[in-house]
Amino acid sequence: MTGHIRPPQRRNARIAGVLVIMACLLLLAGCASAPQVSPATREALPDRVKLDDVPFHGQRDYQCGPASLAMVLNAGGRDASVDALIPQVFLPGREGSVQPEMLATVRRQGMVPFRIPGEYDALLEELAAGNPVVVMQNLALPAWPLWHYAVAIGYDLPDESLTLHSGMTPERVVDVARFDATWARSDRWAFVALAPGRLPASVGVDAAIRAIADFESAQGNRAALPAWQALAERHPDAAMVQFALGNARHATGDGPGALAAYRAATTADPELAPGWLNLGLLASREGDLQTARQALDRAAALPGPWQARARAERASLDQEAEE
Amino acid sequence: MKRLSRLLSPLLIAALVLGSLPVAAAPAPAGNDLVGTTAVLDAASTQSDRAKIREILARDDVQQQLLAQGVSPTEVEARVAALSDEEARQMAERLDQLPAGASVVGALFAVFVILLVTDILGLTDVFPFTR
Repeated sequence: MTGHIRPPQRRNARIAGVLVIMACLLLLAGCASAPQVSPATREALPDRVKLDDVPFHGQRDYQCGPASLAMVLNAGGRDASVDALIPQVFLPGREGSVQPEMLATVRRQGMVPFRIPGEYDALLEELAAGNPVVVMQNLALPAWPLWHYAVAIGYDLPDESLTLHSGMTPERVVDVARFDATWARSDRWAFVALAPGRLPASVGVDAAIRAIADFESAQGNRAALPAWQALAERHPDAAMVQFALGNARHATGDGPGALAAYRAATTADPELAPGWLNLGLLASREGDLQTARQALDRAAALPGPWQARARAERASLDQEAEE
Repeated sequence: MKRLSRLLSPLLIAALVLGSLPVAAAPAPAGNDLVGTTAVLDAASTQSDRAKIREILARDDVQQQLLAQGVSPTEVEARVAALSDEEARQMAERLDQLPAGASVVGALFAVFVILLVTDILGLTDVFPFTR
C-alpha cells in the first residue's frame, strides 16, 4: 500500500459515511412535515389564538415540570408557586418529573387534569376554547432523549406556528412541523388542567368520566360535584354521568337530587344495574318503599356483578315489611 | 433458641396478618353503602379482581420507589394518594422507563453534531441558535 493512492478513497468513504448517517437519521426520525388539520376543524376554529392570561414561570435546572404546572394552575386561578410544586412533583433520583405525577399534582391542587387525544386538532381546539395545554416533547432524538414539558398558549394557522411558554423563554414561536416532530416522540402526550365545573373541548364523554372519577377519588365528592354537574349538563343522556352525579349528590347530603339523577341514569340506560340498585337502596332509606321495590326488582333481574347484592336487598326489604 | 422461635413465630404471624388486613379490606364496599362510581367503571373495563389487588399493592410499591428516588418522607404519602389506580400501577411497573421531563441533554460531542444537523433539518429542537 502506498500513501498516494489512499486519500481519494478516504475522501469517498467519508462522503459515503456522512450520507449513510443522514439516511439513518431520516429513517429514524421521519421527515418533519406540518401536521394536517382536518377541514372541519379549520372551518370551526379562528385563524389565530393567543392566551394572554397565562403567566410565565422560567424553569430552573431540570424543573420544566413544576414550572409548566405552575403556569396552567395559575391560569386556572390556583395560587401555586414553582417552589411549592417542586417537592410535590419533582423526582430527585430521575432529575425530572414523570407523567403520572404531573397529573396527580394537578389533582392535589384542586384542579381536574384531562388527557387530551394525541392529535394536532385536539391541541388547537383546546387553545381555541381558552385552555392552555401542557405538552410533553422529546426535543432531541429517540436514542438520546431530551424530555421536556412546555405550555402551549397559542397558534397561528396561516403562519403554521405555535406559541409556547417553554424553558426560559416566554411566548416562544415555533414552527408547527418542528413542534410536531418533537411532540410525536412522546406519542403526542398532552393535558389540560381545569377547575371543577369547566370541561375540555376535545375530550370524549368516557375519558371525561374517568378523569373526573380519578379526581373524585383523590379530592372527595364535594370537590368533584361541580364537575359532574357540568358533564351532566353537556351529556344529559349519558347514563354513567347521571349515575356518578347521583353518587356525588348522595355523598354530599342531597337525597332528592341523588334520586333524580339515578332516575335519569336508569331512563337513559334501563340496563344499568347499579343505577337501579342505588335508586332502590336510597328510596328505601328515604321511606319510599314502592319505588324501592320496583327498582330493586329491576336490578335483581339484570345479570352481572350486582345481581346477588340486589336480590339480597330485595329479600331483606320484604322481611322488614313482614315484621 | 428453639424456644425463642416458638415464642416469636406466632407473634410475627399475627403482625403480618394484622398488617395486611387493611389492604385486603380496602376494596370491599363498606356495609350498607351504595355502589360507588369507580366500582362500576372498573367493572365496565372488565378489570379482574387480581388486577384490582395488584393496583392496591402498587401504591405501597410506588411509595418505596419514590423514597428511593429521593422524595422526602413527609411528601411521599400525599404524592401516592393523588395518583389514580391506573397511574399507580404504571409507576409501580416501570418507573425507571417512564420519560422524565427535565430538558437537559447529557450527550457526547458526536451526538451534539448529529443533533445540530437534525436541528437544522427541523427534526429536533435542541439548540435555539439554529433558527
